[in-house]
Amino acid sequence: MTRRAFVEAVRGASQRVVAEPGGLVVSLAFYLVIVAVLSGLWRVAVGTNDGNLAGYGAVALTWYIITSEAATVSIHTRLIADVGDDIGSGAIAVELLRPASVIGVRVATELGRTLPKLLVLWVAGGLMAAVVAGGPPRPLALLLAAPSLVLAVTANLIAQHGVAAAAFWLRDAGSAWFLYLKAVFITGGMIIPLELLPNGLERASLFLPFRAMAYAPARLAAGFVEPHLLLEQIGWIAVLAIGAVAVFGAGERRLQVVGG
Amino acid sequence: MAIEARGLTKVFKTGRRRARKRIDAVRDLDLVVADGERVAYIGPNGAGKSTSIKILTGLLHPTAGQATVLGLTPWEDRKRLARRIGTLFGQRSLLWLELTPRQSYRMLAAIYGLDRDDEPRRIAELGDLLDAVDLFDQPVRSLSLGQRMRCELTACLLHDPEILFLDEPTIGLDLVAKQRFRELLVRLNEQQGTTIFLTSHDVADIEHVARRAVVINHGEVIYDDEVAAMRRALLATKVVEVGLIAPIQAPLQAGVTVLEHTDQALRLVVDTHLTPIRVVLDELLDGPAVADVSVVDPPLEQVIAEIYERPAR
Repeated sequence: MTRRAFVEAVRGASQRVVAEPGGLVVSLAFYLVIVAVLSGLWRVAVGTNDGNLAGYGAVALTWYIITSEAATVSIHTRLIADVGDDIGSGAIAVELLRPASVIGVRVATELGRTLPKLLVLWVAGGLMAAVVAGGPPRPLALLLAAPSLVLAVTANLIAQHGVAAAAFWLRDAGSAWFLYLKAVFITGGMIIPLELLPNGLERASLFLPFRAMAYAPARLAAGFVEPHLLLEQIGWIAVLAIGAVAVFGAGERRLQVVGG
Repeated sequence: MAIEARGLTKVFKTGRRRARKRIDAVRDLDLVVADGERVAYIGPNGAGKSTSIKILTGLLHPTAGQATVLGLTPWEDRKRLARRIGTLFGQRSLLWLELTPRQSYRMLAAIYGLDRDDEPRRIAELGDLLDAVDLFDQPVRSLSLGQRMRCELTACLLHDPEILFLDEPTIGLDLVAKQRFRELLVRLNEQQGTTIFLTSHDVADIEHVARRAVVINHGEVIYDDEVAAMRRALLATKVVEVGLIAPIQAPLQAGVTVLEHTDQALRLVVDTHLTPIRVVLDELLDGPAVADVSVVDPPLEQVIAEIYERPAR
């Protein structure tokens, strides 16, 4: 896939979100409710633990939650199911007849769809955090969190396309979608920092890609200046991209042999 | 040569173990389409049309046989071939429904690697050809089906394909939109030399767009000739409609069947294998009672339905 095609796909999809802001408003409302509830709960939990939970204070946890939720809520919720439906119904055939990587165009399009939402949600969440808890624990860490957020949604989108490719064999990716979301919830650090997980689960999460999708930017936004998290994300993106392209490619070949 | 297929075969196996079934979707298909032809590729449901089109566009591997499209083996060179062919599969949209057509064209132009300077010119040129310029800046979702199909065709033609594969392109369109779409295809073929390979259940699509008809059934070609010749040769029957100014007796020659007979009108079907049409007309016109005579071919639906009943060549 050429850079120009990638840029056009991102741009076209971004324009779509901006031109029809209704979906953005709904996502924003949902996001604000979720982060208000979760950050409130975490502040109470921190308060009952002498103001510190595994190194996170109340302000840090609030910034953690607004960032981890922005990274996940900004992505189209039914993405795996929708991609799976397109594969199962044969609608993907139109895309296979273009001289470009199907998964490349799709990921670029979804990235374009996600980035404007991500920006709006994170800015709104940041304002809310500043009002209810206080400013960012370390502004420098926020500079790292911003690119980390883009890497997080990129990793998530690639992984979701790879999972959705199960529909080439199963015809329906609905169950895979459910499992995937739960994995991001827990081992991705979406609602709970990984340091607060039981030891075994925390160790397991180190070896799973989900931490690149929420935990990494959230930890940076919480004030931990750990640039290695970005490198880790880039590594996971490379691994996920290789995996997703391989699975999608195998699915395409299966479609060619078995039919759709 | 635009398309050349020899012994193309596709077998699907469904079910497991004892319940395993073998479906011969395409059987030993031979097909040659020259550059610039307008071919209707027709057959009843389940005849193997879509499967063979999927093979010819590279979406499916054949089980056996060979095919080249524009000199490329479709299933081995799918992406290279995609740059040279256009496909329009019924209701499957080439456009991103939430975008305007122009935004979709920009994405497609990037995907097909069109020259940036040429892109606006090409879009404008197609807009003029398809009379669709006014539609390009409206969201696709707000377009009527007829308007959308013109925009779809623009998308399909953006990269100047040498062959158009059209699978039921007029399905769902109203009569005016269908007619307009057919005219566009013919104009495209005549002005730009684009080869048209069309499947449709709509006989008017075949009649107005195609010069040649290839009929497939049970995965095999059962007829391949000019559309006009198909009509002429396959049903040697004519319908004779006579307006009368006075009552007459209907002709009684062999092969003549009276469909309607009143004091003012007479409708006959004549099997010209048994009695030449001239003999029937001579008898009718031999007297002062006839005011008007017309001889028409039977409807193409009837011709095609008869072909579908035939065994393979």
